[in-house]
Amino acid sequence: MSNEALTTQTTTPVKRDGTFKRVINAIGTDNLTLIFALVILIFLVTVVSGWFGLTGGDKFFSWQNLMNSLAQSIVIVGLLAVGQTVVIVGGALDISVGSVASMGSVVAASVLVGVGTVGALGIFPTSNVFFAVLAGILTGSVAGLINGFIVTKLRVNATIATLGTLAAFAGFAFLLAPDGKPIGVVTQPAFTWLAQGRFLTNLPIPDLGGTKWVGIPVLTVIFLIVTILFHVLMRYTTFGRSIYALGGNPTAARLAGINLDRLRIIMFVLSGSVAGLTGVLLTSRTTSGNPVNGTGLELQAITAVFLGGAATSGGKGTIFATFLAVLLVGVLNNGMNLLGFNTFVQKVALGFLLVAAVALSQLRQARAEKARTSTAAKS
Amino acid sequence: MTITASASPPPETDVRPPGTLEIRNICKAFPNVQALDNVSLDIRPGEVLAFVGENGAGKSTLLKIINGDYQPDSGTLTLDGQQFSFSSPYAAHKAGIRVIYQEPEIVPGVDVAENIWIGELPQRGGFVDRRRLYEQVQKGLEEYGFADILPVHLMGDELSPAQRQLVEIMRALKEGVRVLALDEPTSSLTDEEVDRLFTLVRRLRDEGVAIIYVSHRIKEILELCDRVAVLRDGRLIAVRPASELDNNEIVRLMVGREISDIFQRRRNDTGREVLRVENLNSYWHSNVNFHINAGEVVGFAGLVGAGRSELAKVIFGEMPKISGRVIINGKEVDISHPEEAINNGIGFAPEDRKREGLVLIRSVLENASIAILKQLSRFTFVNQHRERSVVSGFIEKLQVRTPSVEQEVSKLSGGNQQKVVLARWLAAKPKVLILDEPTRGIDVGAKAEIYRLIDDLANEGLGIMFISSELPEILGLSDRIYVMQNGRITGELSAAEATEEAVLALAMADQLTATASRSEN
Repeated sequence: MSNEALTTQTTTPVKRDGTFKRVINAIGTDNLTLIFALVILIFLVTVVSGWFGLTGGDKFFSWQNLMNSLAQSIVIVGLLAVGQTVVIVGGALDISVGSVASMGSVVAASVLVGVGTVGALGIFPTSNVFFAVLAGILTGSVAGLINGFIVTKLRVNATIATLGTLAAFAGFAFLLAPDGKPIGVVTQPAFTWLAQGRFLTNLPIPDLGGTKWVGIPVLTVIFLIVTILFHVLMRYTTFGRSIYALGGNPTAARLAGINLDRLRIIMFVLSGSVAGLTGVLLTSRTTSGNPVNGTGLELQAITAVFLGGAATSGGKGTIFATFLAVLLVGVLNNGMNLLGFNTFVQKVALGFLLVAAVALSQLRQARAEKARTSTAAKS
Repeated sequence: MTITASASPPPETDVRPPGTLEIRNICKAFPNVQALDNVSLDIRPGEVLAFVGENGAGKSTLLKIINGDYQPDSGTLTLDGQQFSFSSPYAAHKAGIRVIYQEPEIVPGVDVAENIWIGELPQRGGFVDRRRLYEQVQKGLEEYGFADILPVHLMGDELSPAQRQLVEIMRALKEGVRVLALDEPTSSLTDEEVDRLFTLVRRLRDEGVAIIYVSHRIKEILELCDRVAVLRDGRLIAVRPASELDNNEIVRLMVGREISDIFQRRRNDTGREVLRVENLNSYWHSNVNFHINAGEVVGFAGLVGAGRSELAKVIFGEMPKISGRVIINGKEVDISHPEEAINNGIGFAPEDRKREGLVLIRSVLENASIAILKQLSRFTFVNQHRERSVVSGFIEKLQVRTPSVEQEVSKLSGGNQQKVVLARWLAAKPKVLILDEPTRGIDVGAKAEIYRLIDDLANEGLGIMFISSELPEILGLSDRIYVMQNGRITGELSAAEATEEAVLALAMADQLTATASRSEN
């Protein structure tokens, strides 16, 4: 039965080398599966597609594609997914993030330009990037606070509560915009730099795939910083530990002295704040504070978290796995774009990828469980 | 009688009246415990037979086997010369056997009549024939004299415990029950309801139903039952006519066990008082007073449902109290959340460690350090090095057998899981440690280790509130024992006074206070 236990963990030989084994353990077997899937997907896009006469796969490994298309395309959903990971590990779901992003988008533009409900208040100086970003994030924090309050004090199931606020916040995003119309921010170059700017453009890096090094997009850098912050938060702080305990067994967590209400509120505030920031970046990217900017993003974010292997019942899942899953979805979409598949086909592929990934992990769990119980019975 | 496919043993020579449920050589083992050991018994039509025994004596297991919930490891059940191997409760029902548990399954969203006829509602042209349904149910209820206390249109979720039981009994009667078992039927009934139930039971007995009556209330048993079967440690100790028995004799039969290899505590002088509870009232408790000193193991004995676990949870801030004072180390504290209890120096290892004690899908390390994360961290960053060394220290001290502290707790054995819970609380350095059934479901070897540990902890100056339903361990370990019944403390015994008989007498005596509290409510 130990054979079965081994095969269920990984197909890679891990027994041989001490350092190798340690590296594998640090990455985690679940993440290895994701990395493996990523490699296969890239292989499919760049090599296998050619066998079937599809063209465009050769463009994948080019700076133009990697640093322009791919690196930027993963940021928005990636940010939301990182925030969502905290909530899902905590045993809940925050469906409202798409609408929160829309609100953040409108409020940031509103403060920047000085129009709309929030801008007209005149609390923040106009044309100031810092205050625009801050206002967008704070909008998300307040939205998260509302979610947290509804879940903890009014005792509404998190899924239902955020389903409700998804609708309410979506409407609110329109109410915050002047006459419900988008607020243009094209005239604010300092702000649009967030989405269009690049770091390290002058590095002497050789060409790739016939295109020159174009630098790292600011968007991507922001995404990476937030991801690392959340990774540290979840892995090394009392907050992160408490979230895992809350999602794993709320009763046990409470009986071990964790204040669940406070924890849940912080959890939703974090998720909301990230969604607010995402909204700000959406404004910068689309050069407009549009009340529909975030519509539908919540499902993509939740999809990515589950693709990363987070347990639907909470208590399991990591920021790193979510990051890998976001990358996987990004490569899938990017590769299919390159190969000329339309977005409908991409959606079908993404849907099947999610179901296949979860089915695979269920299968693995069932086999591990079987191996475990048969050992227990024998001992 | 039709002949069944299963190979029947040669017919018994002595004649039994038809409708006798013959239980022969039933054995049933669970991991680490022989729940039933070669039990043979006849349950005759037209008699009420009582099952009595301590918690864990095997009564529930036997009922579950009769009902088809469990399959026996060996042995047979025979009714009317037909041997059964009940694969499911449904099969048992078909044979006319019904076990009414304390918490019957009632569908909340439909009314009494539909609950009774559920699964076979009278039909008419593809629709439910409601008129016929209500007529028949009404007729049945009137016939048995329950029409006034069980309105047919009342919804399932509006029913009192008594009414729920009645629904279940009516289901059984509708199907022509031949063997009816009642599991602790009176535990949540008022005196008047008890009288009505007894009237019904006697009537069914006179109609020739074989009735099994399981109860902790000896008074009721002596009043109602014809014969008494005493179970102890999975064995049938005695079956006697009730007329030959009295309260003391039943208790003696239930207990009479050897207390030879039970751990004896090395008693030390106890220190000053660490916990005092005064006039505590809650939904579950009335006027509870007790105290625990440093270095003392204080046992809380009583039957299941006496309110001991709830008492622990009220003190720990997990369940609300209505009034009363809790004093820790001479200082009155107001605890309304486990967090505050921990801050005030209380630790609590709950009874159901899988559901309430542990985060099963997380590691030994995380489970053991969860209550001291704040002490281990600076600016909310957990000092992982210190965490590891603190936890490893306790894991070694308690001899938790785990490949590493990274191991998922669900993969450990029950005894080792319990030690992880204990490690958590030792790390938190409480003044009072509440242990609720700390040895439940763990093997004998691990039990002995837990006993030694409790002994050590007390000798190190911890005050221990030790809740257990196993009398030998509570007698062997406790310096003092409080006995609870119906949410009250019915007595306090010193180690010298405490015998199984004395504890059981306090735990079971159907004393005046119980009836008084019923009429108060």
